[in-house]
Parts: sequence; C-alpha cells; structure tokens
Amino acid sequence: MTNPMDKSAAVMNLPRRDAGDKVRGRTRYTVDAGGSDVLHAALLRADVASARILNIDITAALAMPGVQAIAMADDAPGLHGMGIADHPIFAGQTVRYHGEPIAAIAADTLAQARAAARAINVEYAALPAVITMAEALADNAPLVHPDWKDYEILFEGAERKDNVAWQATVDRGDTDAAFAREDVTIIEGTYRVGRQNHVSFEPRAVVASFEDGRYHIQTSTQAPWTVKHVTAKVLGVPEAAVHVTVPAVGGGFGLKFDCSLEPYAAILARMTDRSVSLVNSRKEEMMTCLCRENADIRIRSAVTAEGEIVGRDASVLMDCGAYGGEQVFLTTMTAHTLGGNYKLGSVRICTKAVYTNTPPNGAFRACNGVYNTFALERHTDEICAAIGMDPFEFRRRNVVGDRDIGATGQVIDGNVLGPMLDQLAAKYPIERRSGTLPDGRLYGRSTTVGTWFIFVGPSAATVILNADASATLVTAGVEIGSGTMMQSLPQIVAANLGIHPDQVIVKTADTDAAGRDLGVGGGRTTVSIGAASEAACAQVRDQLLDVASGLLQTKPDNLVLTAGRIEIKGRPGSGTTIAQVVQHAETTIGPLSGSGAFTAPGVPAMPGCAAGHFIDAIDVPVFAVHDCEVAVDAVTGHVEILSYRVVQDVGRALNPRAVRGQIQGGVVQGIGYALSEEITINQQGAFDQTGFETYLLPLAGDVIPIESDLYEGAPSIGPLGTKGAGEVPILNVAATIGCAIANATGKPISTLPMTPPKIAAVLENREAFVNFDHLG
Amino acid sequence: MAVNFTLNGKPRSFSGDPRTSLLDALRNDFRLTGAKDVCGEGFCGACIISLNGEPKTSCLLPMGALDGTTVTTIEGVGGVETLNEVQQAFLDFDVVQCGMCFPGMVMTLTHYLAENPKPSRTEVKAALTGNICRCTGYERIIDAVMSLQGSGAEVAIQT
Repeated sequence: MTNPMDKSAAVMNLPRRDAGDKVRGRTRYTVDAGGSDVLHAALLRADVASARILNIDITAALAMPGVQAIAMADDAPGLHGMGIADHPIFAGQTVRYHGEPIAAIAADTLAQARAAARAINVEYAALPAVITMAEALADNAPLVHPDWKDYEILFEGAERKDNVAWQATVDRGDTDAAFAREDVTIIEGTYRVGRQNHVSFEPRAVVASFEDGRYHIQTSTQAPWTVKHVTAKVLGVPEAAVHVTVPAVGGGFGLKFDCSLEPYAAILARMTDRSVSLVNSRKEEMMTCLCRENADIRIRSAVTAEGEIVGRDASVLMDCGAYGGEQVFLTTMTAHTLGGNYKLGSVRICTKAVYTNTPPNGAFRACNGVYNTFALERHTDEICAAIGMDPFEFRRRNVVGDRDIGATGQVIDGNVLGPMLDQLAAKYPIERRSGTLPDGRLYGRSTTVGTWFIFVGPSAATVILNADASATLVTAGVEIGSGTMMQSLPQIVAANLGIHPDQVIVKTADTDAAGRDLGVGGGRTTVSIGAASEAACAQVRDQLLDVASGLLQTKPDNLVLTAGRIEIKGRPGSGTTIAQVVQHAETTIGPLSGSGAFTAPGVPAMPGCAAGHFIDAIDVPVFAVHDCEVAVDAVTGHVEILSYRVVQDVGRALNPRAVRGQIQGGVVQGIGYALSEEITINQQGAFDQTGFETYLLPLAGDVIPIESDLYEGAPSIGPLGTKGAGEVPILNVAATIGCAIANATGKPISTLPMTPPKIAAVLENREAFVNFDHLG
Repeated sequence: MAVNFTLNGKPRSFSGDPRTSLLDALRNDFRLTGAKDVCGEGFCGACIISLNGEPKTSCLLPMGALDGTTVTTIEGVGGVETLNEVQQAFLDFDVVQCGMCFPGMVMTLTHYLAENPKPSRTEVKAALTGNICRCTGYERIIDAVMSLQGSGAEVAIQT
C-alpha cells in the first residue's frame, strides 16, 4: 500500500513533554528511587593496581549492624566482554586496577553498607603493574591477563597477543610504493591525548529486586538489552530471567552504553529477597569512569606537490585499561575517523587496544573519532605547511565526494563535505588565520572537517492505535536527555499516522514489553528505532485504511491520513475521524497494532583490506565542518574562544531547535575536552582527579553561542532521510581549537587537553618530551 | 535533640544525626528528591535550595545548624499546576536535556532575578558560576533568562 503521508508533517519544533517535571524537580531518576523500603549497597574496591588476593575476611563485616548480605567472586562466575570475554565483575584472585570491585555489601542504610565495606579485610600480594601503554608494550612487560589465550572469543578474526587485547588493521593499495615515490613529500606527526570523564550528572545507579523467579532491574542505562544480556551471562542464568526497565536517565554520553552496577544489585537482591539500591558516589564515578580512552597516534603521509595524498600510514594505540570493553570494538572506528575525511591513494592503519593496570575505559560521544580527528586535522595542517598549500584549498580538493572510496574500500554516496565547506566559507569568509589582537593576544582561526557515522544495528518497535486516536509506541529506547524519545520519535509516529505528536504515548524502556534494541548511542536512535517505528506504523496504517475503505466505500489508495482524520483524497471533510474507524475496527477485526523491525544492511569492505573489524564499512556516514577563532594569552597560555561555527550534515532535521541544542551542548563538551578536562594517572594506577575541584568542566562563563547551520539532503537510509544529530557535534571540536591555537602560536599542538600550563610551555619551547617508540 | 524548621511552608522536625547534610535529609528522610546529589562538594549547584531566602548548596549544610530556619526546595517553587517564570522560560526555549541540573538552576536564577531583574548576559553568566550543566552548553539557559528582561520575574520562593 502506498504511504499517504507528507514527510514535512514530521518536521516541527515540538517541545519536550518531560521538561515540566524536570524543571520542577519531580522527575524520578533511578537515583531517586531508593526510599526506606529498599536496602542500600556499597562496593569494596581495590586500592592497589595489580595484586594477587591471598585472603578476604568478611567475618567482622557480616556481624556489623544492618548488614544483610555480602557478595563476592564466587557469586558471579561468568566473564563478559566485547569481542573477548575477559571481564569478571569481582576481582577473585587477581586485582587488575585500582578501584576494581572485590565485594558488594547490602545493608539497611548506605552508611552501614559503607562501614561494612571498610571492615572487610583483604590480604594482597603485590604484583608488578603496567600503568602506561609504553610500559605494557615493553619487552618482557608483566601481563595484565597472563591467561589471555584461554578466554572465550566472542568475535573472531583479530590478532591478540600479550598486552594487546585486540588489533584491527586496514591495508588498501600499495602503501610502500606510494611512500617510495620520488615526487612526494613525506610528513609525519605524533599525537597524545588523555582521558575524558563523561560526568553524567546522574551517576551509574540501579535498583534490583527478585520477583517470581526473575530479576527485575531498574537502572540508569542507555542499553537495557545489553544489561539484560550481560547480567544473565555473569550470573549464569538464562537471559529470560532478567527484566530491565529504565526511567528517565540523567545523562549518559556513552558512559551507560555498557552493563556496570546492575549485576551486583541483582545478586544482592536474590541473596536478601529485598529490593537493593546501588549508586556510585561521585568519587567512585570519577575514579572508575569508563572514560574516553587515552591514545597515542602516529600518522605519516606521502603527498604530491599538487596536494594529492598518495599514501597514508598510521598507528593508533588505544588504552583499554584492565579489560577490553568497548575499546576492542572501537579499534574498528579508526578506519573511518583517522582514515576518513580525505581521498587516499593507499592506506595502511594499525590500531591496537592495549591492556594496562588502570580503570577500564568505555564509550564516549563520538568515541575514537574526537582524538583521531584532532590528530588527522593537525596532521593535515602540517601537510599544508610542508607543501605550501592553503589549508582550506587542500581540504576542498581532497575531501571525499561522490563515488570516492573510503579507507576500507567503501564507495561514498554523494558530495557532502565539499558543499559544506563552501557553505561555511561563503557565510564566514576566511580573511586571515593568524595575527595579533589589539590587546596583544595571539589570534588564530581554523576550519576543519570530520567524518562520523550512525551506529545502526537492530531495533524493534510496536505501535498500538487506540480508540481515542492516540497511539502507544513501545520500544526499548531510553530518554537520556537528548530528546530523541520525547521529540523525534513521537514526531515520526505522528506523521505516519496523521495525528499530532502529543497524541503519541511513549512507553519507557522495558525489555519485557519491547524487542531487542542495541541501545541509545552512536546517533542511532532516530535512525534505527525511528525506522522500526515507521515499519510498525505501516502495518497499523494498512489495517486502518482497510477498515476505513469499507466504511467510506472507496479504495484504501484513495484515502489520506491527516490531523486525526481519514479523508478521501482531494475532498477535505469527506471522511471520518481516525477514532471512529478504530472504534469500528474493534468490533470487526479487533484493536489495531503493528510491529516493526530494523537492522543494519552492512555495507561491505573491499575484500581483504580490513582485519579485526566489527563492521566492514559505515552504513550512514555523517559529516561535519567546524570553524573557530581563538585568542591566546602568550604569558598565561589561556585560550579564549572568540567564535565557533558548525555546519552539520543532519540528513533531515525533524526538530531543528532540538538539533541546535545538541550542537551547543556537544561543542561545549568538546571545548572541555580540548582545554580543561584533564585526567592524570599516578603511580598507584589511580586518577588524581577525584571530584569537580580538580576535574574542570566548562562553566557558563567559559562558553559562547555556537553558530550552527544544518546541512540537509545528504543521502541517508534513516526514516524521512534523517541522520542522528546528537553525537557528532563533539567530533571536531578539539581538532578545530587545536588547529586554531597552532595557527595563533605558530607552534605544533600535539596533545590534549591544551591546558594553560601546557600552552605556556609550548610557547616557551619547554614542553615535555614524549617518547613514541612504543607506537612501532 | 530535634531540629525544628520550616520546610516548603510547613513545620518539620528532624531528629537524626545533626551532622547529616540537609541534602541527605531532604532526599532520604523527607523524600524530596528534587535537589540532586551530584558532586557533594558544593561545586555543581544541583542541590541548591533556599535557606532563609538565600540560595545555598544543601550538600554543605549540616542539619544541626538549621534549627529555626526556613527552607524552600524546588518542590516548593511554583504551584502544583503552575510554573514560575524562570521554569516557564526554560520550557519555552526548549532548554532542558537530561534535567539533573535544572532544579538548582531554577533556584539560583529565580532568586537572582528577584534581586537583579534586568541583568546583562555577562551578569547572568556570572550568577551561574556555581551551577554546572553537562548537557546544554548553557547559552540557551541564558537566552531564556534574557527573555524575562523587564518583565520582572515573579518571586515564587516563599521566605
């Protein structure tokens, strides 16, 4: 049956339905769920980075007031992970990082649980620790996982050895021959970036109970089906025995894309037969954050005098911490981030996830992309300086366009980056890139490009059309703050059914009600859940129009859905209301509902050029052009951002006002990453930054309005031509600010974050020497 | 010894450990969860309440020091069905994302506009030094506040 909907009907600046309760403090997040009827849990965490556990004595702790249960390694036998099952939820015999959980205690009050944790006596025998990737890759380095060969492999095809948890490679074309050409200039750059903490304001939190033989887990997560899967795996119970529900989530940014606290609370709920609340303290969130990983990067390029990149050779080391986690998967992304943006004659990339005795890392908004884009764009400016070409001109010539091939041989559809660059330059003409301001500060400007993608994957949706012409949308999608579940999804469903989005009820995520979903992340919700919702709506619409066809004595094809009514085409007022048709249907065929599904089509790579990759190529590329002007104080090293402009490829903006809100917020998070958010790891393997006094988030006075242009019309498989818009705004912020600072100062900027002391040191030619020999 | 104080217009009594923070007492004993426990160190402002008419971070106030005081939380702002002007402006400008910082933002800005009804943009930013937001990038919050210029923000916090 044809789709009678008008796509433009989905586009509107729909307000958020959850904002009223949020500004009145009435929204109940998971952290607000634990009243006097629940037990409170605390974790005993290791205070050493690497040790053998000789003995754990819980006798005294068990006898303390209010203590109800203590769980340890024997209560959770399973290992979990992504690609490799290397991660137990409790350290049983071996501690691999400072902060690793050893025991979980449930007590009547949180204070009692914490007191009991302090009363547990753990005897350690210290083992040598590898804190840095250089130490981990040194000859004869102690192994974080001596038994790495014995782990269950969950995804085949990658090389692994010793402290290299995972290796992904790209090899397309004859790179050696390209570098051997006599007509090329060879440019090499090395870059080092630190970790970034998400600082979602709601910490990771869970309330678990054991009901009718099943675990019910209410949690602050982005990925309820992952929580269900991992909890079942580590507890050794069937997945069907785990039920996950998710209320409003107070920020995620990728931190909550993996299972974390849920299994501990589930075990304690079963042991005590009570509901158990477990919430990370802010210090625990800071010290055990699944951070954006630190990374070391080397890029070499062979470039002709005309600016053609005939060869590129890159090596990236990603610190995964003590367990592989998301970094194992994210090694895949280098191909499309560092290997993205530009046409490459040949390319060879090796990315390794490296085990260290440090807290495990995880996913963070545009994971892998932000630092590889920083490195790539700084390297690109260094290429331009070496061959004497204008950086804008170089980018305009070299960005990928229609029918160009990506790093793994994927054929790109459409010219997007080039026109986006033109749009930026037309609106904000580039007059100079460096200079001195009247107040004596150094001025710099830069324009960068970025390539990101939509992480599609499986989603399911059910749509029920009720007798009052309201619709109920049932999915496992979570509202983490970005507005997708409050704005774009009801807009999509409403447009498909000819009703107003206010008439679309959005069920909160519930794995007992909705089919599998990969989770809210990777910019995928509008695309994947949106597409599944459209498919569900199509089934509902077919039923609805079929019934209406009988009532109105005309063919279904001759009907249109609009404003709560079903009209005969071209004859407004001729039809009837949707409500009347649904009510009639209930007496003939029954209530109306439909189910829809979506998954990634899986764009293939060129045969033989990618190894160890979880995906061969990117299903929905997303591009971004950023431009900024900075002023650098040459004495203090302080950077002020004078202007910041974004042209973002959005496919189609369903809610332009909400998209601009994501751009403002994402760019500011990137400003923090670029300039102030610093994590240092001490010799004990612990982070020095334990709270907001030392981990410096951007404040209102540090930011400016981001000027944004939404670039529409690029190809997308997303519903109504959409692409995810919430993840990509952070992608090239550090790149753009870094290039602008380099232009202002005339100095190579090669590390993040660029804190004032570091910039002052660079200006005085006294920056710390970094040895990159371990990059190979 | 019990601590007697006024909470959102009603007399209340607290007889727990006097070292308990007001934030913990609000959230655990009175089950008013609008004030959020985010940093616990007075930096982020998500737990701001009004103490005798002044915005204060409740995580740093011990209950033992509150006898005879008047405390208004976000739950005491506006009415059951009504929003104050700051809250309404946040809705009108589609400012809210995850929402965790907004109870504190409302408390700070409602008080600030009552004191300084026509602030400059720079002044509003300075007033937000003690309120951190991780989602929005702030500017839209400022836009919403600036839209109230001259209209004289209604002071809905009882003292």
